[in-house]
Amino acid sequence: MRSVLFWSAVVLILVYMTLPAVVVVATSVNPTELMAFPPTGFSLRWYEKALTYPDFQEAFKSSLVVMALSSTLATLLGSSFAFLIFHYKFRGRGLLEAALWSPLIIPHFTTGFGFLLLGSHLSLTQGYAVIVMAHLLLVTPFVTRAVFVSLSNVDTNYARAAANLGATPSEVLFKITIPLVLPGMIGGWLIAAILSLTEFTASLYVTASRTQTLPVAMYNYIREYADPTISAISALLILSTTIIMIVANHFLGLRRILGIDNG
Amino acid sequence: MIHQKMTALQPDDCAVEINHVSRVFGSVQAVNDVSLSIRTGEFITLLGPSGCGKTTLLNMVAGFINPSSGAIRIGGKDVTNVPVHLRDTGMVFQSYALFPHMNVFDNVAFGLRQRKFTKADISSKVMQAIEMMSLSGMEHRRISQLSGGQQQRVALARAIVIKPKVLLLDEPLSALDKSLRAQMQVELIELHRNTGLTTIFVTHDQGEALSLSDRIVVMNRGQIQQVAEPIDLYRNPANGFVASFIGEINALPPATCTVASDEISLDIGNIRLIAPRRPEWQFASGQSAKAFVRPEHIRIATPADGGRNVVTGEVLTHIYQGSHTITRLNVDGLGPIEMRLPGGDVVGRVPVGLKADIAINLAEVVLLSNTAN
Amino acid sequence: MTQQRPFFIPFLVPAVLVAVIFAAAMFNVFQYSFLEFVPGSVEVGGFTLDNFARINRPIYYWVLLDTFLLSFATAFFALVLSYPIAFAVVRAERNWVRSVLVVLAITPLFTGEIVRTYSWMLVLGTDGVINTTLKALGLIEGSIPIMYTRPGVVIALVQFAMPVMIILLATAISQVKRDCEKAAANLGATPNTVFWRVTIPLTMPGILSSFVVVFAWTMSAFSTPQLIGGGKVLMISNVVYLQGFSSFNLPFAAVLSLIALGAALGSLGLMKLATARFERKLATV
Repeated sequence: MRSVLFWSAVVLILVYMTLPAVVVVATSVNPTELMAFPPTGFSLRWYEKALTYPDFQEAFKSSLVVMALSSTLATLLGSSFAFLIFHYKFRGRGLLEAALWSPLIIPHFTTGFGFLLLGSHLSLTQGYAVIVMAHLLLVTPFVTRAVFVSLSNVDTNYARAAANLGATPSEVLFKITIPLVLPGMIGGWLIAAILSLTEFTASLYVTASRTQTLPVAMYNYIREYADPTISAISALLILSTTIIMIVANHFLGLRRILGIDNG
Repeated sequence: MIHQKMTALQPDDCAVEINHVSRVFGSVQAVNDVSLSIRTGEFITLLGPSGCGKTTLLNMVAGFINPSSGAIRIGGKDVTNVPVHLRDTGMVFQSYALFPHMNVFDNVAFGLRQRKFTKADISSKVMQAIEMMSLSGMEHRRISQLSGGQQQRVALARAIVIKPKVLLLDEPLSALDKSLRAQMQVELIELHRNTGLTTIFVTHDQGEALSLSDRIVVMNRGQIQQVAEPIDLYRNPANGFVASFIGEINALPPATCTVASDEISLDIGNIRLIAPRRPEWQFASGQSAKAFVRPEHIRIATPADGGRNVVTGEVLTHIYQGSHTITRLNVDGLGPIEMRLPGGDVVGRVPVGLKADIAINLAEVVLLSNTAN
Repeated sequence: MTQQRPFFIPFLVPAVLVAVIFAAAMFNVFQYSFLEFVPGSVEVGGFTLDNFARINRPIYYWVLLDTFLLSFATAFFALVLSYPIAFAVVRAERNWVRSVLVVLAITPLFTGEIVRTYSWMLVLGTDGVINTTLKALGLIEGSIPIMYTRPGVVIALVQFAMPVMIILLATAISQVKRDCEKAAANLGATPNTVFWRVTIPLTMPGILSSFVVVFAWTMSAFSTPQLIGGGKVLMISNVVYLQGFSSFNLPFAAVLSLIALGAALGSLGLMKLATARFERKLATV
């Protein structure tokens, strides 16, 4: 009885969490310009419009550039930083940790605003440098956490055993530590890439019209038009992230990466 | 046997009755058709290697795991489908499972509060239990401020204060270091004597089982191998598993029996050993049997032995253990043999690599039919 | 010493470099908040404290209060709805159930603000799913307003906050020792009592920290109040944007950003204090 009640609650809450996504996907295939749920027919015209709309094409390219650079840099930075705080105590570590964890807490618009001002000081407002930098800061904590959790789950004695058998520190790092935390690094990279691709608030501040990323372009579109083109793009994003999540869960174990092991 | 029948007639005298209980996890048969009657006030130990089903069985008595089949009665009442919180058992966990967000007093009082005792009643019962476990003055301490031994005592106090129908101890001593463990064993015996609580104790440590229990239940692969008092278990193991699990023992190769009026001769290859015949043995001449000999029943042969039950082996190694020395030999026809020589003096040792004559005392040999393993 | 610390310097340098760049960006916000606004221009004048004085107007108090209340309500409802999911994610008996739950619960985090906000516009709008469904069922005549209202904003914000909350709560729940719950049941506690007297207290640090993280997170929400609030529900972020991009009053936008930053850091500090107390209580040897 109790568990029936509990699981009904769980299902209802999950419906609440997933209902919007379902609605978006449903409306994206609706042939009419007016939103209708459930759809009154099936058409891919909004997908065609979304994929051929020049603003979105440009924005998608920008997004890919920013995503590739920031997530890769974040993986390098986050992994080395996780390694650093996992292994070493040093003066100023607390301050450094505060600085690199704080983008999780600091409002994205404050971060975006800060980089906007910094960018205009350095006359970098038209390029990708400032956008990549802002994204790098926003997504690095997720990589750091994933790699840190992986490091905590790996027995430090493996590294000691390797060193004891004559491996140099570089050999230990590249042949023992990195292979063992690779799932964490890949998971972290994936999370970083997706978060960068979908980041909006900070991007709104730091992108120029030439460099606007996909979410910014979508925001501008929503403010002007009310047809299901955005539904089509959203549906594509929702379906691809869902597939990525299922695949990631299968190969990397989401629960392990997130530190939610079964108690 | 007769006693067991009497308990069946008088349900009052039977604290826990486990009736053909089995439990399957996926494809693993964790507990396989186990039946056991535990007398009121008895200290009974479930002993066996890890994975033998002893913890699963204990968890089924507590109600954390439901049997796949069979029934469990506590105090005469069928509790097979009774939820954990209504079973009135007191469990001490291997991890102690003390509530970290409560102090000592509140931990001990937890069970009484569920039973809706008055505040004054709770207070006096808790203080009594705390005193009994020598924890006086610590009632307001946080759990994190206690040593391992003290946590153990709080866990015991918490379990006994509710006067459970049965006290369940799940390897409670395994987290303690050796000297503390010995001390807690003494305290457990005294606690059992003072409270008279029926106790089921789970352990994989045969020494612990031998020194604490009224009766020991040896389990392996989900099944009961033998239920017996400690001395009986050590001297008359029911099968090869029990023989080798309880204490050290040499398993000799299969022997052919020749039964005489007061002796049994055991022929192993061209070695003949002669044991005084015991009334409970039911061997016929020509039958195959397996003999088990404890290391303490083997010594260096003397001329007085006259060659009776004397074999020759090559000394492989000496293992010095302080109060005694274990010597391993290889005896042609018997294989590796361990003997245990009292005293650690090096003088009497035969050097490694040389031959030694050893005399096997078969007065306490364990003799099992060769099919019984 | 250096031999004991391989890769210390090569790993430290990039981290410090990035931290310094971030500090520079934050310092820019700080610096702008003290510079004079020149109306009609993005250029700024000299040192002034006027920007801080401008805050002292009822409209900004209301915005701050609104932001605070909306964030609080969001964190509260997110907590109530996330706990059962987190519990199920950790405790479901079957592995595939846990996997399905974790994917369903976490995926919304990765679809991004814009997609999620837009989806809620389709659900909550005047001609949205809720209104059309209710009308089709004959329960209402005209559309009930959900868009452009505070409840509408909270409904969307709660769903955004839940994935993060679920991750944090699930971490806390997975650390609860099952033996403690078993011990309580063994001592006679009903499943309800076990939950409220053992599970909840033992996960209290996680509850507090996830509450505050979501609270701080929601205070910086932008696109939801912007699009679903539609200018009728204003949070700090929307005013910062208005000041920065409509009035080009960058100094005042900086002041508001600093206030938001201060509120976020302040709630984080409070959380640290509160959880430290709980963790001390819960520390085991």
